[in-house]
Amino acid sequence: MQRITPNMLAMVFIALFTGLGLTYYSLADGKFIGTYHLGSWTTWAKAGTPNPDPYTKAFISLGNTLRLGRSEGIQFTTQRDGNGDLLQKNCNYSISGDVPTATFWTLRALAPDGHSITPVGANQAIQSKRISRSNNGKATIKVGALLTDGNWLEITGEGYFELILTLYDASVLSGFGGTIDKLPIITNEGCT
Amino acid sequence: MIKTAIWIIAGILLGLIIHLVIILSLPNLVSNNAWNILSKISTPGKLIILKRPKPMEANVLRLDPELVYAVCRFDLLQGPGSLSGKLPSDFWSVGIFDKSGVAIYSTTNRSGGDQNLDLGIFSPAQTRLLAEHQLTLKTGVIIVKAPSNEVYAVIRLATPHPAMWQRYKETLKQLKCAHIK
Repeated sequence: MQRITPNMLAMVFIALFTGLGLTYYSLADGKFIGTYHLGSWTTWAKAGTPNPDPYTKAFISLGNTLRLGRSEGIQFTTQRDGNGDLLQKNCNYSISGDVPTATFWTLRALAPDGHSITPVGANQAIQSKRISRSNNGKATIKVGALLTDGNWLEITGEGYFELILTLYDASVLSGFGGTIDKLPIITNEGCT
Repeated sequence: MIKTAIWIIAGILLGLIIHLVIILSLPNLVSNNAWNILSKISTPGKLIILKRPKPMEANVLRLDPELVYAVCRFDLLQGPGSLSGKLPSDFWSVGIFDKSGVAIYSTTNRSGGDQNLDLGIFSPAQTRLLAEHQLTLKTGVIIVKAPSNEVYAVIRLATPHPAMWQRYKETLKQLKCAHIK
C-alpha cells in the first residue's frame, strides 16, 4: 500500500480549498459568473429564464426565495453602499438616481437571514407609485433609523442588512444588459 | 521542486473538478428551497394565500409586502394543471416554476391585455396527448409545457395601498387551481 506523503496531503488540501472556496465565492460573495453588476447592485441575469446557466441554477436552488419570471420583473440586491462599505442598520443612507422604467418598483430592507428590520407601524417597503418627487420627477429615499421627511424607509437594530430593489413588469426591460445602465446610488449620511 | 509544483497543479485541477461537480449537482441536493417550504404548507391542486410578512419577523420566502401572493402546487401525474379566474386591473403576474425554482413560464396582465387568467399546465406526456387530440381543451386556454411533473405557480397581485391587502387577498382566493381529470 502506498504511503500518504506530505505532497499528497497538500494536494488534497489545495483541492478542497479551491473547490469549496470557489463554490462559496461564486455563489455567495463574488458572484462572478451569471451575475450582472451595476454600481453596488447585483442581479442574476438569467434567473427567471427557462434556461439559466449552471451557476444561476445552483444559486436559485440554494435560496428559498420565490423568484420572478423574466416577464414579471427583475430584482437587484446590494449589501454595500456606493463606496463599497457594508450597509449597517445604525447608519443613515440616502438613495437617489435613476430607476429603469417599470410598471412600478419597490425598495425593501432585510437582514441577511431574511428577517424584516422595519419596526412595527412603519412602512415595510417603499413603492414607486406612492413616493414624493421633486419638480424634475426625481425622488430621494432615506433609509435609516433617523426620522426624516419625504420618502423614509425606517429600519431598526444593529448589524448588517441588504436592500432589495424589485422592478415589476420586465417587458420594458427586454433589452437587458443594454437597457439597464443606471441604478440609484446609495450614500452613507452618517452613523450613530 | 518540480515534483511539488506538479502536486500543487494537480490539487488546483482537482479543486476545479470538485467545484464544477458541486455547482452541477446542487439543484438536486438542496432540500431547503422554496419547493420544500411550499410542500409543507400546501397540497397539489389547492390554492393557498401566503401570509403577509410582518415587521421584525422572519420573511422566509422573502415576499414583497406590497404584493399579495397565491401559490398552487401541481403534481401533473394527477392530471394536467389548471389555473383560472378573474383578477383586478391592478398589476398582476403569474410565474410557473419547476421544483428547483427555474421559471418555465411567466406573464403579466399587461401582456395578456385583460383581467382573465386561464392557464393549462401539461407534462411532456400530456403535451403529446394534446398534440394527438386525445385531450381536449376549451378555447382561449394558454398552454404551458412543463418539463417535469412537479411544478408550482406563483400569482402576484399588487395592492394600490397596504390597507387593501385583505381585500385583494379575498380576490385571489377566488382563483381556481386544480388538476384536470
